[in-house]
Parts: sequence; structure tokens; C-alpha cells
Amino acid sequence: MGTAMTVAVAVSAFAFGILVGSLGASAKLSHSLALNVVADVYTTIVRGIPELLVIYLLFFGGSGVATSIAAAFGYDGRVDLNAFTIGVLAVGLISGAYSTEVIRGAVQSVPFGQIEAARACGMSRWLILRRVLVPQTLRFALPGLGNVWQLTLKDTALVSVTALAELMRITHLAAGATRQPFLFYGTAALLYLMLTTVSTALFNRAEISANRGVRRA
Amino acid sequence: MHRHPPVSESAPAAVVVEDLHKRFGELEVLKGVSLTAREGDVITLIGSSGSGKSTLLRCINMLEIPDDGRVVIGGEAISLKKTRGGASVPADARQVERMRTRLGMVFQSFNLWTHMTILQNVIEAPVHVLGVPKAEAVDRARMLLDKVGILAKADSYPVQLSGGQQQRAAIARALAMQPKVMLFDEPTSALDPELVGEVLRVIRQLADEGNTMILVTHEMGFAREVASKVVFLHQGRIEEEGSPDKVLTNPDSDRVRQFLSRHLSGAA
Repeated sequence: MGTAMTVAVAVSAFAFGILVGSLGASAKLSHSLALNVVADVYTTIVRGIPELLVIYLLFFGGSGVATSIAAAFGYDGRVDLNAFTIGVLAVGLISGAYSTEVIRGAVQSVPFGQIEAARACGMSRWLILRRVLVPQTLRFALPGLGNVWQLTLKDTALVSVTALAELMRITHLAAGATRQPFLFYGTAALLYLMLTTVSTALFNRAEISANRGVRRA
Repeated sequence: MHRHPPVSESAPAAVVVEDLHKRFGELEVLKGVSLTAREGDVITLIGSSGSGKSTLLRCINMLEIPDDGRVVIGGEAISLKKTRGGASVPADARQVERMRTRLGMVFQSFNLWTHMTILQNVIEAPVHVLGVPKAEAVDRARMLLDKVGILAKADSYPVQLSGGQQQRAAIARALAMQPKVMLFDEPTSALDPELVGEVLRVIRQLADEGNTMILVTHEMGFAREVASKVVFLHQGRIEEEGSPDKVLTNPDSDRVRQFLSRHLSGAA
């Protein structure tokens, strides 16, 4: 049960993080100074303060912010974000800050000549993005994103402070109730290890597929 | 020796460049260049590095946006406008995209898409830009790959090919769009000497078939054989232009003469 919740938080946060990371990387690479600054401030703050603090800030401040945003759209009444949403937002924002840097570096590694060739064929910006830039970026980004995924998976343990019933929280409760902490924490460690090992294997396969036509020769 | 037949003065203009200016920061690379390529013309642009010949070629399909002057493709002028900062930009991105489909570009460094097979490279733009049905695009791509002699490599990735094969694949990719004009930017400069011949053979065949082409090259012997017109650029201006026999054997300009004495040794 706890493991399933951990995976759910991690997958959602990682996906949210990739979305944020793509936006962040676009902002950092854009010609707009304002967007550059916003993205820099975001990655500097989130990467510069402890993950646990980000979670606390969202846990205690998130509902207030959501309430005022809802009020701005004409909804009066309190909006309570549940622990799952807060966990996903918090870990996703952390994950997104690291993904931003990974994706930015990957975009910059795409040989510019391949973009020019696409332009010279009359491809529109959207088509170039979809057919050339994203597949090429993915190839360069996958190793870095694999790392971000592992960090994200482990960061979900911090969400236990919000009493969300994920793996770490349940382990903690069970260890306390049965007075067999080593057994339960040891089991949790094995479960985390199993998750990271399986996902690393999956990322390796994805890398091989994204690298077709590159390392074969 | 083989010669390109002269192109009639009454042939319709495929590409017209008028008073083109381009600067990169402080450096003015093109200082008012005008050029007309008629249908069937094979124009070779020659000159020392930094003379502006590649920039001129890249301005024709708007990979570089000229600061001043006009580019007319098949009778339609590409409209440009100025931003508030004074930079020149296309007024209509869609128009530029449409014009580019009529101009096949071959780059010095091939620029094949490395995540696609050779066949996928060739059908990519016909299918996704022109909307050609995939089966039809594949048939045509196979025909073109056969023409440039690399049909056996259709399912290989670019990295598995030699430079000469990659460049021939890039030529097939450009031809797949059935362009009105082919632009070649030093197509053999990145190749090992023993691979130059196979690429030049393909380009020569295209010239013989009557394709309109503009070619930046350092291969003087080749320029003499395929060109209907040779244009010599010097510091952003046209120094001399005319038939290959005139410009490459008996030029009026001393600069051209000096350039040729440095480049023609052993080539002709």
C-alpha cells in the first residue's frame, strides 16, 4: 500500500517536474530577459534550500495560496489541498528545478546544423520542435533525467512529514507500533532499492532506444 | 572537355537577388550584391573565404536574413520588415517556409537528422511539410537513393555512412522536395579527398539534367565543367562574373587572376 503511494507520488511529481523543467528550460533559453530572470530565480531558490523546507513551505502555505488564487477567480471559500497534491507539487517543483538544467543542457547539445536543415526544408517551428528538437533533446537528456528520477523517488520519503500514507510514513508507524524498527526500516530500504533498481533498468533501455543511430557504429 | 550549354537570356528567372546587404555586428559581409539565376542556370560562386559567398547563398533561403535588398523566388519577392530595434525579419514566416520548399539546400556538413534512418531523412519533409502520402514518398525516396547510388543504405543511420555517402543522402533529401532550385554550400569541403569525386559526379548529373543550381565551391576544375556562369566575390561585392571560360581562363580582374593562380594549380 505504502509502496504504491510512493510510486504514485514519485511518478506524478516526476511528470510534473518534466513539465516544469521544459517550461523552465524554454524560459532560460528564450531571448526574453524577464523569462531568463524568472527561471534563474526559480532554480536558484529551489535548488538552494533544503527539500524538506520546500515541503513545509508548501504544506503550511500552499492551501493559503490556493485559496487566494481561487478567490481571484471568483470562488470564495477555503481551498484545502490534500496531502497528496501538496506532496506532488512540492516534490515536482524540486524535481522540475533539476530537470530544467538537464533539459537546457540537452537542448544546447543538439547540433544546430540539424535545426538549420529542417528550416531549409520549409519546416515550421512547431514541426521542427516535434520532429527534430524533442527527439534529439531526449537522447541527450535521458541520462540526466534518470538521475532526477532517482532523486525524485527518494524525495517522496520527505513527504511523510505531511502524514501522507506513503512508504516512509507507514514504515515509521509500523516500526513505532511493533517496536521492531530495524525490521521495518530494513524492509523499507529494500523496497526503495528495488524501485530504484527496476527504474534504472528501464531508463537504460530507454537510452538504448533513444540512442539508435548514434552508438551503433 | 564537357561544358554546360549557355542559358538563353529569355529563360524565366528562378532566383533574383537585388542589392543585397548583410552585416554581422560591425562586419559588413555583403555590400550590395545582385544576381539572377535563370531556369537551367548552374551558377558557381567562388572567392576567398570571407568573401561572402556562403552568406549570399544562405540569404537566398533566408537562413540569414538580409539587412537590405530583395530576394525574389520564381517571381515572388520575400517580404521583410524591420523590428523596432532595426533588425530585419521576415514579415510572414509562412511565406518563408513556402519559399524554402522550392529551394533544396545541401550543407557543407551534411546535417542529416541523426535519429532517423536515411530513408526517414528523405521522406521526412515531403510527408510532413508537403503532405505527400507516405507510400508515395517512400517510392520516390527509393528512386532518389538509387539515383545517388546509396539505395542499399536506406535503412542505415547517418552515422553508419561515410562522409561521401552522407552527402549523397543529403542531396537525395533535398531533391525529394522537388525543388525549383538547388543550393549547394561547399558540398565537398568537409570530405576526404578520395570521397569528393562521388559527390561531384552526382552534382554533375543534376547539372546535365537541366536543374537550376547555385553552388559555392572551391573546386575550380569542377566549376569550369558544370557552370553556365561563374561569379567571383571579393569582400562582399561581385568582382567579376561571366561564362566559366571567360572568368576562369581570361579574367579582367587582377584579383581573380591572383585567386586562380593560387587555386587552379592541378585542378584544371
